[in-house]
Amino acid sequence: MTANSSEKILIVEDEQHLADGLRFNLEAEGYQVRAVDTGEAALDLLLPASGNGAPEAAKHAFDIIVLDVMLPGKNGFEVISELRQARHFVPTIILTARGRPEDVLEGFAAGADDYLPKPFELAILIARIRGLLRRKEWLRASAPPPEPKDSFVFGDKSIHFDLLELRVREQVYPLTVMEASVLRYLVEHEGKTVSRKTMLKDVWGLHGDTDTRAIDNFIVRLRRYLEDDATRPRHLLTVRGIGYRFIAFPPE
Amino acid sequence: MVVGGRRKSIAFFIALGAGLISVILLLYVGWVLLNWHTGILVFFGILLLALVIGGVVLNTTFLVREIRRNAQHDAFINAVTHELKTPVASIRLYLETLKTRAVDDSKRREFYDIMLDDSDRLLGTIEQVLRTGRIGDTRRELHVSSIDFGAVVEECLARARRLYPVSANALAYRHGPPITLTCDAEEVRAAVSNLIDNAVKYSGSQVQVDVETASVDGKYAYVRVKDNGPGIPPAELKQIFKRFYRVPGPLATRVKGTGLGLFIVRSVAKRHGGRAWAESEGPGHGSTFVLQLPISR
Repeated sequence: MTANSSEKILIVEDEQHLADGLRFNLEAEGYQVRAVDTGEAALDLLLPASGNGAPEAAKHAFDIIVLDVMLPGKNGFEVISELRQARHFVPTIILTARGRPEDVLEGFAAGADDYLPKPFELAILIARIRGLLRRKEWLRASAPPPEPKDSFVFGDKSIHFDLLELRVREQVYPLTVMEASVLRYLVEHEGKTVSRKTMLKDVWGLHGDTDTRAIDNFIVRLRRYLEDDATRPRHLLTVRGIGYRFIAFPPE
Repeated sequence: MVVGGRRKSIAFFIALGAGLISVILLLYVGWVLLNWHTGILVFFGILLLALVIGGVVLNTTFLVREIRRNAQHDAFINAVTHELKTPVASIRLYLETLKTRAVDDSKRREFYDIMLDDSDRLLGTIEQVLRTGRIGDTRRELHVSSIDFGAVVEECLARARRLYPVSANALAYRHGPPITLTCDAEEVRAAVSNLIDNAVKYSGSQVQVDVETASVDGKYAYVRVKDNGPGIPPAELKQIFKRFYRVPGPLATRVKGTGLGLFIVRSVAKRHGGRAWAESEGPGHGSTFVLQLPISR
């Protein structure tokens, strides 16, 4: 019917009749549909074991999720907030019999993109699915073109974020994705003090009382790469009791 | 989250009650030790103290009970909302599908069957809720008549066979001696149907339900409904007959229900001067439900 075929939809719904009806209609619209009947099954599909295997592939396995709330085991709200905590941002519509205002608020607070109470109108559901997919397309279309030079040069050193490399004179150090992210964050805040807490929040996406010492290990490693004398750092300074400061051009 | 909040408030009120009582005791014991000689005052003091403590305990108990009842009522509203809206959503979805899309003949027939199923489910929920209201009304009298108990049970089994896609052997009936029962036929039919429905619903994919009727020394007639389902923990055997009560845990979320079925069974039994109870050797061993009614009134 429509041109946007091959977009994949995951239906999480334990009522067999509804799941079958939705699948029939969405397939007629030209989408690829997969239906599961528990939140646990959905999470298994979306977040493969411990997230280290091939998370990137899994993240793009589905373009949109239609999620019921009253599921056996984990309910829909728990499923969506677990996804969001794992930094999985697939567009999600909650489709549920619970339509009280506090339910709707809870759904959005948990991280849903849209909320549709049952009974719903088929045409409206399809329009909302299209809307979310279109928003994704628009975001992609309006995204700024990637920066031609994704690197930062200071003195005789340079960081190449795209290549995950740190070059110090002739020496090339490969960086992990996380190390590159930490460096990028420090470079973006050059000259300013950044606290361990805000780094955890902005780089790792972690909140609250997570142990901040993990950062110190990163800094120790980065110092080994880019300081001439790691015991007397000139670029990556410790600000006691707070965090760190990156200085690109330290005074002689 | 909501449940956690409730548990916290229950704990808070119990702690408050216990704290108040211990403060009073402490004050009083202190006072008695300081003024040991005034005998008659000590006597009245102990009396008043006992009253105050009794009041605090009573107050706390009622508060906790009220909070629990509130929680159950919320769960009931959620369950009924779900049970009412889901079939409507499904029927509506299929009607819209039939209206807007070209559906071939076999698919169309399949859709009709699904919609019929859903309307049965909807009707079942509505009847259950209405029946609870009627049974709760104590002024309402029983419409007593003489019925063939075995025939009523067979009727209920026939209905269940129509409703659920199970093999004929899965719902077995062992005939007892013919029993003529004086009772409200409609209520007894509803109670027996509820027991059979539960047995099928909680059995999952392996349905094997055995139903038998018999009488106890000519005074009582009973029907036993035995299933091979998940069984019931001993602590829950009585609880499950309470209104809105659902066994906590994954089972209750997998098997949808309003928490009214067994309440209706127990109410019908009580209204007839009979009894209803559950037997189970614990999780994994199936369960047996018995409805026992007096033969003559």
